[in-house]
Amino acid sequence: MAEVLRREVVYLITAIITILMFIEFFFIGTWNVAEELRTWATIIANISIALGAVRLLSEHAKNIQRRRAGVWPFSIWLWIIFLVTLLSGLAGYVIKQDAMTNPLYNWLFTWPYTSLGQTLYAITGFYIFSAAYRAFRARNIDAALLLIAGCFVILTNAPIGGVIWSGIPVIGRWFLDYGQVPGMRCFLIVAAFGMLAYGFRALLGRERGFYGEVAGE
Amino acid sequence: MVKKEEENMAIIVEGRGMALVILLLSYILFYVFMYLGRKGREIPVRTLPPMAAIPEGIGRAAEMGRPVMFTPGIAGDLNDPTQGPQVLAAISILGYIARECAKTGVKLDVFMPIPTALPLTEETLRTAYMAEGKPEEFSPDMIHFIAGQSPYLTAVLGYFQRERPATNFLIGGFYYESVVMGEGGNTIGAFQIGGTANTHQMPFLVATCDYVLLAEELYAAGASISKDPDILGCLRGEDVMKLILIALMIIGFLLGFARSPALINVLRW
Repeated sequence: MAEVLRREVVYLITAIITILMFIEFFFIGTWNVAEELRTWATIIANISIALGAVRLLSEHAKNIQRRRAGVWPFSIWLWIIFLVTLLSGLAGYVIKQDAMTNPLYNWLFTWPYTSLGQTLYAITGFYIFSAAYRAFRARNIDAALLLIAGCFVILTNAPIGGVIWSGIPVIGRWFLDYGQVPGMRCFLIVAAFGMLAYGFRALLGRERGFYGEVAGE
Repeated sequence: MVKKEEENMAIIVEGRGMALVILLLSYILFYVFMYLGRKGREIPVRTLPPMAAIPEGIGRAAEMGRPVMFTPGIAGDLNDPTQGPQVLAAISILGYIARECAKTGVKLDVFMPIPTALPLTEETLRTAYMAEGKPEEFSPDMIHFIAGQSPYLTAVLGYFQRERPATNFLIGGFYYESVVMGEGGNTIGAFQIGGTANTHQMPFLVATCDYVLLAEELYAAGASISKDPDILGCLRGEDVMKLILIALMIIGFLLGFARSPALINVLRW
């Protein structure tokens, strides 16, 4: 019975919701069942975030309780930061209906969190350099063509490209506007068909991975 | 007056009629080929090199005595209509990876930054270990939930340096973390298999991974593993739809020379 509940009911819910979304997207009507369902999906998703937070705290509580080597001091730190952020945010919300009005919450978000995030994002530039180096090594004819196209695009974006030769930005823009667009659109179209097929199998209950089952069983 | 009556009679949202036709045609083709596949009609499919490389990557980890890392990226909240299916497809592949890890006794670490996908991930791993007769080897601690893009990235990069996984699977919906994790994995010499349908991240995965599942390959990866007639049938249906679209493009190209908007009008119906 539990197995039936786990599988068949999930298939049924998936199918009903898919059909409702399908009708709402394609057919004219005034009913708002699909909209209601989307709202519920958002609510459930947010509850799952809360569950994730509870799970995170319980895992770190275990680390502290067991004095897990090299980890437990960080787990204490996580608990402290979590509680400070949560309580200061709630305080701001309760007093002025906006978490950001609490100076401590505002400071935590604006300075440590945002700054650290921006720092990490900026580091991406260096990773792109090394990835480009790896991709542009002319090991075969394909990589050599990529290297040539890449050089034109880099020099188009760099002001020095136009100074070296006025044709460089023209060729570079051609690669950006025409050269790569058909390829990317091709990927978009085939990915869309792949997604359609995946959704269709899920709708019929024949995509086992979608239901937490494992291929090859 | 006639036009107003026509508008009142319309039941399909304007501009979505042809999309509905294409969708229904796709579904009919998928179903027909799935049916034929189940009836025993052979549908050949090439082996996807990234899927064939999964046992190789896990074997490498077994030989080196190091773990395997899997992450689906942070782009794909399950509510998102374009990113969510990528995560679901990635979790399907994770099931296969988990089975291979269970067979060989390799430690698997999953970095899951999407809270909505967490229960499905846990269920998939539990099922995979049970399928291999090793339910005791499954532990929820295998799944590391890290919320937020920057903390997630930092955690994965730190994990790379501490645990030095032998093989990384970067399969799912990615944003800029693809290049950071791909390059981070390269610095520790990990064997890497990537996969995404996000066109803006494909170049990064191609540049940093040894094998990559591109676009529809991500959704069709299961066929390569299981030769499931349902998936193979859908693949054949997709191929027929692609041929239809190519024919439409050629017709549109020729009509463009004749300056005829006929096809555009039909597609805008």
